[in-house]
Amino acid sequence: MLKPLNPILTVAVPPHVHCGRSIRRYMVDTLIALMPAALMAVVIFGVEGLRVMALSCAVAVTAEFLLNRIMKREQSVDDYSALVTGLLFAFLLPASSPWWLVAVGSVTAIAMGKMIFGGLGGSPLCPALVGWAACRISWGSYMDTNATMLSSHLAAPLQQLKYFGPDSIGSIHFSDLLLGNQLGGLGAVHVAALLVGAAYLLLRGHIKWEVPAGFITGLLLTAWVYQIMAPTAYAPPLFHLLAGGAVFGAFFLATDPSSSPIGRVPAVIFGLMAGAMVIVIRVYGMYPDGVPFAILLANLFTPLLDRIRPKPFGGTYSFLNGTEGAQ
Amino acid sequence: MNDFNFSLLCGETGPLTTASRPDRLRLSLDGMTPILAVGDQVLGGTKVAMGNGPDKGDLHAPLAGIITELAPYSMLIEVGNGGKADPHSPCAEGGERLRLWLKSMGVDVAALYKAPTLIVNGVPPEPGISVFDPLLRDYRKTLDMGLEAVQKVVEPAKIFLVAAKGNQANAFANCTVVHVNPTYPNGLDPLVYKTVLKQEVLPGSRPDSATLLSVKDLYAIGRVMETGRPLTETVMTIGGQNQLVRVGTPVGFLATEAGAKVQPGDRAVLGGPLRGLTAVNLEQGVDKDTYGLTLMRRDASLETTDNFCLGCGTCERHCPARIMPGMISRCAEFKHFERAEAYHIHSCMECGLCGYWCTARRPLLQYIRLAKYELALLAGAHEPPSPTAEDIKEQTGDTPC
Repeated sequence: MLKPLNPILTVAVPPHVHCGRSIRRYMVDTLIALMPAALMAVVIFGVEGLRVMALSCAVAVTAEFLLNRIMKREQSVDDYSALVTGLLFAFLLPASSPWWLVAVGSVTAIAMGKMIFGGLGGSPLCPALVGWAACRISWGSYMDTNATMLSSHLAAPLQQLKYFGPDSIGSIHFSDLLLGNQLGGLGAVHVAALLVGAAYLLLRGHIKWEVPAGFITGLLLTAWVYQIMAPTAYAPPLFHLLAGGAVFGAFFLATDPSSSPIGRVPAVIFGLMAGAMVIVIRVYGMYPDGVPFAILLANLFTPLLDRIRPKPFGGTYSFLNGTEGAQ
Repeated sequence: MNDFNFSLLCGETGPLTTASRPDRLRLSLDGMTPILAVGDQVLGGTKVAMGNGPDKGDLHAPLAGIITELAPYSMLIEVGNGGKADPHSPCAEGGERLRLWLKSMGVDVAALYKAPTLIVNGVPPEPGISVFDPLLRDYRKTLDMGLEAVQKVVEPAKIFLVAAKGNQANAFANCTVVHVNPTYPNGLDPLVYKTVLKQEVLPGSRPDSATLLSVKDLYAIGRVMETGRPLTETVMTIGGQNQLVRVGTPVGFLATEAGAKVQPGDRAVLGGPLRGLTAVNLEQGVDKDTYGLTLMRRDASLETTDNFCLGCGTCERHCPARIMPGMISRCAEFKHFERAEAYHIHSCMECGLCGYWCTARRPLLQYIRLAKYELALLAGAHEPPSPTAEDIKEQTGDTPC
């Protein structure tokens, strides 16, 4: 009776058509979006920058490969997600990072940020930031872009703001910040290049606009409130947006699919929280740039924020306790 | 794959043609109790099985022949020479009597109950399915007879015809036409209810204030009233053409008639590309509620994966029921079915859009259906009972009215 006969047909579940998206396509597009900033990093920081990025990516991919082996999981390195995580992590490092720091951070990002939670999609925190946080807390002096790159002629805007006050940043032009002429994470500071990549990702529909929009709004608003309170004591909002890794965080770190909320309203609130937190950390915290920690903190609120849901179609209903929702 | 579009516009559809006569018919016995045995001779219109439960219509042989095989889920009729059974005189009464008569004539009567509002759904159920268009254009008389019979059971105060904007749809007598945007999934019953009633009805539940029939249902009832013969046909869109197809016609026969060559690995989808079910083999027959046959080539169709949900939220953005298909699929994946209920799984109207957009290519709709099925079992659901021996005896002969 209902046996397969020749020609053997495919029996599958609907829908039978698909929009053509795939995880690999998403990761490749993210890599493409990161390319302008990576190029800028090589241009500005030279071979040192290339060394850090290549090492980080290689270690991340190897770590994922080995962990999949150890955990007896299906090999998943071919989806390029480890490559993306490795590159994102490298973007946060100073170009002067020693090799062991890059390697340890990259392994931590993959192992503690992703694989321990079951691989891609399971991570409650942005994996690259987990690696960064581990390094920042354990080897703070090596991660300090200002202290490790004394020979550089570039300005370190956030460090200057932190240690010398808002007067010291008067000489820094916004156009310099935009073009990435500042010290910071080697890829995170190339604001213009990152914006180009972000536009590509938005155009391709890979990232939700709600998170970056909320992030930037939250950041600008909070900075603006501080400036209104005391114009001479705090830096202008636009400075905060362009200095450090704010743009990188808004478009590439906060939008990490698994650690950001799913719903539209939750995503906006998530962005606002992270953006506001950046300024709070920059003003009161011990770290000059608050972006990574701000996003990690906001990540923790994701499950809570996702409880904000619209009313489901037809109301709530349950077979088990017999509550009829349909009126 | 990317050029798929969700427009429900039919464009110009040709006339309704009748599909050729196949040599064998394979009738689905899902939800049926056969009342004849292997070797029995049947005429066109002889009752061969009874529908289980109060709503499922009985099954009749579309053509004369011999029953050569009886498996748990299907019956094979070798088509031979022989005429049709005598037509019945249409039931002149209304209400419950008419409902029972229609059920015995092969009509599914789940939607026939008393309600103040009657909605006729004329919006194509899926892109590429245009079965309603020729019916609304060329078969007004049959539709009117169907509507008349339906009114005798439903006794509505108001009748609405819902149509996609841009598709041709003329109102029936005493009927208001409501237009919706010609975009999938606007033709699905829950959304049509919402358009007319301005109120959301939980998918799968039936509201007290209204009932809904498709134009195809009206046509089926109209044919039964018109001819006095049981329902043994369905209207299907096959390769853009609308055909009147005998129930049980093998899929392979229809594909060959349409000039398509089925390759190994292809899918023969009964229905449309978003909601349709794939045929197991080319011998499988079409059902009464089949509205299309879509041949999907192997390389053009979605191959689902067991990738883990990324949590990107794309499915949530496209969900017309405002639920989180991704989260529900995670619950179903790990057998946490009660949790799926907390994520409002019952609001799902099974449009398939989540699976269409899923970046990880997860079988989201299937996970949702699995969880719904398991939840129903947990709540004590069971198949409707088969008719008793007495019922069968009573019904085997001529149908009383």
